[in-house]
Amino acid sequence: MTVLVDARTGREVAARRTHAARRWLGRIPYVVLALYAIVGGVGPLLIDYNPVHVSLDDRLLRPGSHVSSGATAWFGTDGVGRDVLAQVVYGARTSVIIGVCTVAVSCLVGVAVGTVAGYFRGWLDTVLARGIDILLAFPAILLTIVIAGAFERSVLVVVVALSATAWISFARVTRSVALAIRERAWVDAARVLGVRRVSILLRHIVPFTAGPVVALATLEFALVVLAEAGLSFLGIGLPNSAVSWGQTIANGKQYLETAWWISALPGIALSLLIINIGILGDQLTARYGRGHLR
Amino acid sequence: MTTTPALAATRRTAVAILAVAAMALTACSDATGGGGSNPGKDEIVIAGTYPIDSIDPGGPQGGGTGPQMAEQEIFSRLVRTKADGTVEGDLATAWKPDSTATQWTFTLRQGVKFSDGKAFTSADVVDSFKRFIDLKGTNAANFPGYTMTATSDTEVVLKAPKPDAAIPRKLAVFFVLPAGVGPNDTAFFEHPVGTGPFTLEKFTPNEIALVSNPNYYGGAPKVKRVTIRKMPELASRLTALRTGEVDLAWGIPDDQLPQVQNDSNLTVQTIQSSAVFTMWFNSSTPALRDAQVRRALWQAVDFPTIIKQLYPQTGSLADSVVSPQTLGYVKQEPVKYDPTAAKAALTAAGFDFSTKLRLQFANAEFRPFNQAVVSDLQKIGVQVDLLEKEQAVFTKDLLALNWDINFQQLSNPMLDASNTIGRLYPCAAKRNGYCNPELDKLLAQAGQSSDEQERVKLYGDATKIIWQDAVGMFPMAVKYAYAWNKHLTGFTPDPNGLPDFSHVQVTS
Repeated sequence: MTVLVDARTGREVAARRTHAARRWLGRIPYVVLALYAIVGGVGPLLIDYNPVHVSLDDRLLRPGSHVSSGATAWFGTDGVGRDVLAQVVYGARTSVIIGVCTVAVSCLVGVAVGTVAGYFRGWLDTVLARGIDILLAFPAILLTIVIAGAFERSVLVVVVALSATAWISFARVTRSVALAIRERAWVDAARVLGVRRVSILLRHIVPFTAGPVVALATLEFALVVLAEAGLSFLGIGLPNSAVSWGQTIANGKQYLETAWWISALPGIALSLLIINIGILGDQLTARYGRGHLR
Repeated sequence: MTTTPALAATRRTAVAILAVAAMALTACSDATGGGGSNPGKDEIVIAGTYPIDSIDPGGPQGGGTGPQMAEQEIFSRLVRTKADGTVEGDLATAWKPDSTATQWTFTLRQGVKFSDGKAFTSADVVDSFKRFIDLKGTNAANFPGYTMTATSDTEVVLKAPKPDAAIPRKLAVFFVLPAGVGPNDTAFFEHPVGTGPFTLEKFTPNEIALVSNPNYYGGAPKVKRVTIRKMPELASRLTALRTGEVDLAWGIPDDQLPQVQNDSNLTVQTIQSSAVFTMWFNSSTPALRDAQVRRALWQAVDFPTIIKQLYPQTGSLADSVVSPQTLGYVKQEPVKYDPTAAKAALTAAGFDFSTKLRLQFANAEFRPFNQAVVSDLQKIGVQVDLLEKEQAVFTKDLLALNWDINFQQLSNPMLDASNTIGRLYPCAAKRNGYCNPELDKLLAQAGQSSDEQERVKLYGDATKIIWQDAVGMFPMAVKYAYAWNKHLTGFTPDPNGLPDFSHVQVTS
């Protein structure tokens, strides 16, 4: 008997341990993202960097070398002698700012279009839903490149270009949520009580989209950061005076063999961010996604 | 142990899939390896730096470096320039001016046949020249109001509206087609007929294949086929060169040169090109109207250090507006780097340090250089916006003077100062907002003189004005680095990036 109990407690302890380990593992993305947020927010205050200033005597130095000013270039220097660490830090800020702005804009537009289409149904829904279908059929990156390429480079243009396609998924998700919610008893009750339609939308429908929208927003954030880096890599994203991972990676392209650190380090920073947001997004989807909408 | 039939079947499928995958992989590697490294003993593959969009020498794109390289292999010219700047006969064997240098008589080579076997006569030259002028391509601007007539089957006369001693060099961009080719004759350019060493076999946007022309007057080239592959990406060009996928590449930047030089399979050579980094100031911009301001800006940039760091092997400090082998080159006093004096001069001239100057350039390869210039200017408090533009946008803005400082690598395939100084700096040219009647007079005189020494002197005087008034900054004379596989012999690098393949041979 005692043996049995021991075995059971042993198993329970093991199960509890795995559970704890899993919980801790699940927190890694939060830690990494917090790190990025701190680096992006505080880093620029600590590290001084001027993208226009070049120092040709210090070009292509290995990570850890000393530059002519006496400082240490922990991530090495690029083809014109600028510090790669500073570029990674400033690039993190640029990426986060653009990611947040784009997600905010597309979230606003997408939720507005989606709830309106889902709640009002009828011809408005037909027009909006078919519009979304048409936009979905269009390759997103192509549309982004066309918009970004047509105007002079600036942060605003990049945000607009990326939002132009990012709002669609928000609209689709919120529309389907709204379609389901509008049939609920409390919505009927509100309607019968004579609550204004705008109020019904804002108080009885929109709050229920929050879960899936937050889950989607994290995934979209990753895609936007990646797309911004892609645009800058192609040279149609941000102006030269802005610091962006995409630009730094593109600058190091011709030195891949001799000075791997220029492209590799910002590339690793970018992949780490994307992977962690992806994991976080999956967790959020599992918790708040459509399947758990009750 | 027994296996169930189902499991056995799955295994068989897996083995079959593996086998197919392996075969596909080997086929792929055969395709890449076999197509490239030493494809046949007498075929070579070239990595083309610039796109070849057209092979119509008269067309709007025909004057570009890429198209010209293909055109010179398919069509011959009356004359061509050699690497040292002298002129040699191609389809013409002799040429002479009249006493005023307004009429030039060219004696044509006899017994030359087109690639389709038809005999070449003066009528072809006259007709080609008319087409060249009528189509108003970029190079036709060198011949305003010029006419060509045939005096016999083997002699043509080119008549200029005013004396022009530079005619033979200018004609290095004029290609001879057979008579009767229309303005937009796409059918002809699909299967062009020419007198050059090669004929066109295949023309696609990414690849152009030339095969040797058995009717070439100089004897059919030793290589049977030359394939020019479009490889605008530097990294892919160098990888292809080192794996043997291509046999020849050029325009290799200094950062990559040591690696290529260390490769025992490759021969590397640099050659002084006709190109000079030219950074015009827009003299019509209010902020840059004063020559003192322009001179001070030039003084503020540490070009010797920039060149030493970025172009240690392929760059040298320029000492004139044109390259040393160009006719009309006269050495000028280098501008000394002195940021303190520059700042003082700018303040004295009343320069407004809050203006943001727009520096435009095209082509990512020049980005580090321009970044360094902007950085130096910022050190003395001059704000510059660095604008990297697409080639087409760049050209449009360049002509519209929609810039304050313009960066260009200006090459001069004619190796005659009339093509750069004479063409770009008169008031009427309106290329950089600078206008000086005294300079105009000198340039007009130089253009009309038939005496070569006098022309050099006049262009020297003109260069002095351009240099001292700082119409632009002239920081660097460019060398081109060529690298080719050791099994190629007989290849000579070309100063204009227009190498000729007719003497190349493949040895094992």
